[in-house]
Amino acid sequence: MTARTWIGTGGYVVFLIAAALIAASIGGSIERTLVVFFISLIAVLGMGVYSGNSGILSFGHLAFMGIAAYLSGILTMPVAMKKVTLAHAPTFLANAHLDFFSATVVTVLFVMAVALVVGVVISRLDGSSATITTLGLLVIVHGIIIGAREITRGSQSFFGVPRWTDITVAASCAVLAIVVARVFKDSVFGLKLRASRDDQLAAGAMGVNVRRQRLISWVLSAGLVAIAGVLIGHFLGAFSVKKFYFVDTFALLAMLIVGGMATVSGALAGAVLITLVSEFLRRIEGGVDILGYQTPQLFGTTQIGIGLIILLVMYKKSGGLLDRLELDEIVLPKLLKDRVATAARRSSPPVVPDGLLEAREITKAFDGLLALDKVSLALKSGEIVGLIGPNGSGKTTLLNVLSGMLPATAGTALIDGKDMTPLPAYRLASMGVSRTFQNIRLFGSMSVRQNVLVSALDKWPSSSTRSADAMVDLALETMKLESVAETQASTLSYGDQRRVEVARALALNPRFLFLDEPAAGMNREETDALMDDLKGLREQFGMGILIVDHDLPLIMRLCDRVVVLNEGHVIAEGEPQSVQKNPKVIEAYLGRKGSRQVAGTLTE
Amino acid sequence: MFRKLRLTACLTAALAVAALPVAGSAQELVIGTATGQTGGLAPYDGPAMQGFQIAVDEINAAGGIAGKFKIKLISKDTRSDAAQTSIAAQELIDSGISVLITPSDADPSFAAAALATDAKIPAFSPAASSPTLPMMGGDYMFANFPGDNVQATVSAEWATKQGLKNAYVLYSPDTQYTTLPLYFSDVFKKLGGNVAGEGTYTIGQQDFSAEVTKIKSMNPPVDVVMTAAYEPDFPAFIRQLRAAGVTAQVIGSDGIDSPTTFSLGAAAEGLVFSTAGHATPGSALEDFNKKFAVKYGKETDTIFSAIGYDLMKVIEAGVMKAGSTEPQAIRDAVAELENIKGVTSVITYKGTTGMPVRQVTLIRVKDGKRELVGQPSPTADLVPAPRMQ
Repeated sequence: MTARTWIGTGGYVVFLIAAALIAASIGGSIERTLVVFFISLIAVLGMGVYSGNSGILSFGHLAFMGIAAYLSGILTMPVAMKKVTLAHAPTFLANAHLDFFSATVVTVLFVMAVALVVGVVISRLDGSSATITTLGLLVIVHGIIIGAREITRGSQSFFGVPRWTDITVAASCAVLAIVVARVFKDSVFGLKLRASRDDQLAAGAMGVNVRRQRLISWVLSAGLVAIAGVLIGHFLGAFSVKKFYFVDTFALLAMLIVGGMATVSGALAGAVLITLVSEFLRRIEGGVDILGYQTPQLFGTTQIGIGLIILLVMYKKSGGLLDRLELDEIVLPKLLKDRVATAARRSSPPVVPDGLLEAREITKAFDGLLALDKVSLALKSGEIVGLIGPNGSGKTTLLNVLSGMLPATAGTALIDGKDMTPLPAYRLASMGVSRTFQNIRLFGSMSVRQNVLVSALDKWPSSSTRSADAMVDLALETMKLESVAETQASTLSYGDQRRVEVARALALNPRFLFLDEPAAGMNREETDALMDDLKGLREQFGMGILIVDHDLPLIMRLCDRVVVLNEGHVIAEGEPQSVQKNPKVIEAYLGRKGSRQVAGTLTE
Repeated sequence: MFRKLRLTACLTAALAVAALPVAGSAQELVIGTATGQTGGLAPYDGPAMQGFQIAVDEINAAGGIAGKFKIKLISKDTRSDAAQTSIAAQELIDSGISVLITPSDADPSFAAAALATDAKIPAFSPAASSPTLPMMGGDYMFANFPGDNVQATVSAEWATKQGLKNAYVLYSPDTQYTTLPLYFSDVFKKLGGNVAGEGTYTIGQQDFSAEVTKIKSMNPPVDVVMTAAYEPDFPAFIRQLRAAGVTAQVIGSDGIDSPTTFSLGAAAEGLVFSTAGHATPGSALEDFNKKFAVKYGKETDTIFSAIGYDLMKVIEAGVMKAGSTEPQAIRDAVAELENIKGVTSVITYKGTTGMPVRQVTLIRVKDGKRELVGQPSPTADLVPAPRMQ
């Protein structure tokens, strides 16, 4: 958390409290409209904690809201009332009578427990499969609420809930929700989850356990939405299961999407806009007097209006009104930079223990195609090994297998003699394997610093965020990126993006670093500068580097050893000088015919 | 950015104007209607409010109630949803109404009843027929329709008189109204009949094959089937029942007093249902139907428009008796009303807890048309006590 985030959050809080005070002083329907607005805002912020940070849209959160409204209603309803309306409720619920606060706490905890169970399944799914599953959750919970007649009155009205939600309660909870949502977004959890939203594969390679991060945010978001459920139940006093189904899901998603689901400002803007428009339409659809002219009744205008707004906003700005902008980040840009003082926190490179990474007869088949056929390779600390070969020879596949992004079909990969073949990428990252990607995979919406911070935080919480910051500084300095540290990664030049990839890989403090075509797309000067930097890395950090590149002069000058792959086989291995004279290598590169010509290129 | 701000500012201003309290002058009776103009209740609340409007226009044209209280209507749509009913009712109460109209079903009306009671404003549901509504809804909640228990008693007595002995009732626990057949069961058994089975369905269910098979396989055969199902369930049910060859007498209730029922052809032929009135030649209802046709350019095709008209007449009588538009006074006056002449029936609230005493009409579908079976009064001792079910 930075000072700027806190000041920004304070701004939102002041806004909410001011709105609440104004509404409370006007009273009446304005006050009630604002109560509903606060409740919607809490729900939207809750949904945003999951959907905004993970990038996975959820249709299922209204299920949590429904469970919370019913459960808290049962807990707070007077026992005498329950005897009449819920005559067949189980005794422990029929006799329960809690105060508002205890009922809220019990309900929120219960909903979070339910979310945890459901989340174990949903967090394993990606993108639209996860979204569809959340839709299933909504439908199933809807069915269960109707079926559990004894405690919910089925699809009949559930009434007799004390109307305890007033503007003070609603505003306080909204303040809580906005602080939680904003703090979560910039927390270690939020940062890692957002990294996985921008690029799931890269996040895994940088040590992010994507499933766990999704699960944490899912459960937290369910808790926030549960608060909204408790409040709406105790605001309405009577509701039916319809309240927690498609129509309201649509309205809340509209708020989330129209404002821009990635940010807290977006949730706020969306909730304000949709509330204003729908309240306005709802009031005029019954017909109003405008300067003596009576407008006709047009019931149904509200839903059509919200639909049109979504269409319009999506057409003009598909990321929502605020897209990925956080208001506090625009309003307070230079005033309070993310960093206060850098020099003080800089540290010397951490000591990396010596180690050995071995690939033993790794085989990888894609259906019938053998991409790697019994490839063996070793990489020691302090060594730079080049991996070359024609396009399609299996270089990137080998890196993917060794970094845990692809499971090997056969063979083993070992670190210091320990088998690590079955481990997922994020575990390997923690064991000291780090990499860059051939087709740049940065966390595009995040700043350079945040990109690097994601991997630096791999050791968190066993090592502090302070030391992670120090690691980031070191990585940025090493790759000469200090000047662009606060720039959004996707806006950088190609060469700079490649350097960020390296810095991000470095921040994991790896023992083994895989560089997949780090010089691709760079001109000669940039390549030379990069080569100096890479040599510096080995001296400074002492890790083993496995580098894939088509720039053969670079490979030849940089590497201690070179391994040549062709059609999934190792066809040559050894010192650069010997490899480049190897006839098999020459043949592999340009076929028999052009072998003489290429020999020239290789030795150049 | 500024354009966006300007838009927001305009919206805010418009919202503020729309939200201004509209409390009328002392000489104005402000009635708020929170009814289901869209959604599942629209076939009932739509016509009811059309009929209501006719009465309002008539009264205002004549100079207001008792020649001095002009009526002002504020209408809101509840989308046939309990939660939205609660919000709409609260807004109406906030804007200073004297009388609240709630949806034509007991379930969403419960949401409004609690608010009306807190605000001490009389509330009326045009066509909710569950006797539990005024029972649970409190002193300020009134119904305007023959109660489910009364309708069921009339139907059961008629069935017994026809010599029908073996009944099957089909109900849905989804709403209070659709549990009406359980009252029928009670009365039918008291009268010596046998209830062979009580089946359930879900509102919106389209496939009744399991229920139909059960009814068909009953031994001795079922000679009367009673249900309070309505659209879209009822047409599906009776078609499937007839298609399976079951010829038992089917009895329904007011929910099927709609044009659909008369367009079902052979499947609905002979069907009998209870409702709130019938336009015999020269009757007040026939008169009303003519007014309706003049105002809306089409014939009314349901009793609910007349029910809406009658509701306004009840309120008029209450205000007249109270001599004021003060909500508490109106409430107390309505509770004492006797023999108000509506177009569907004579209406009495005195001595009840809010469920009016009104005639029940039995209608038979004959050649796709309405045929009056009778307008019998139920035997008072037989009427079951209201209960949540």
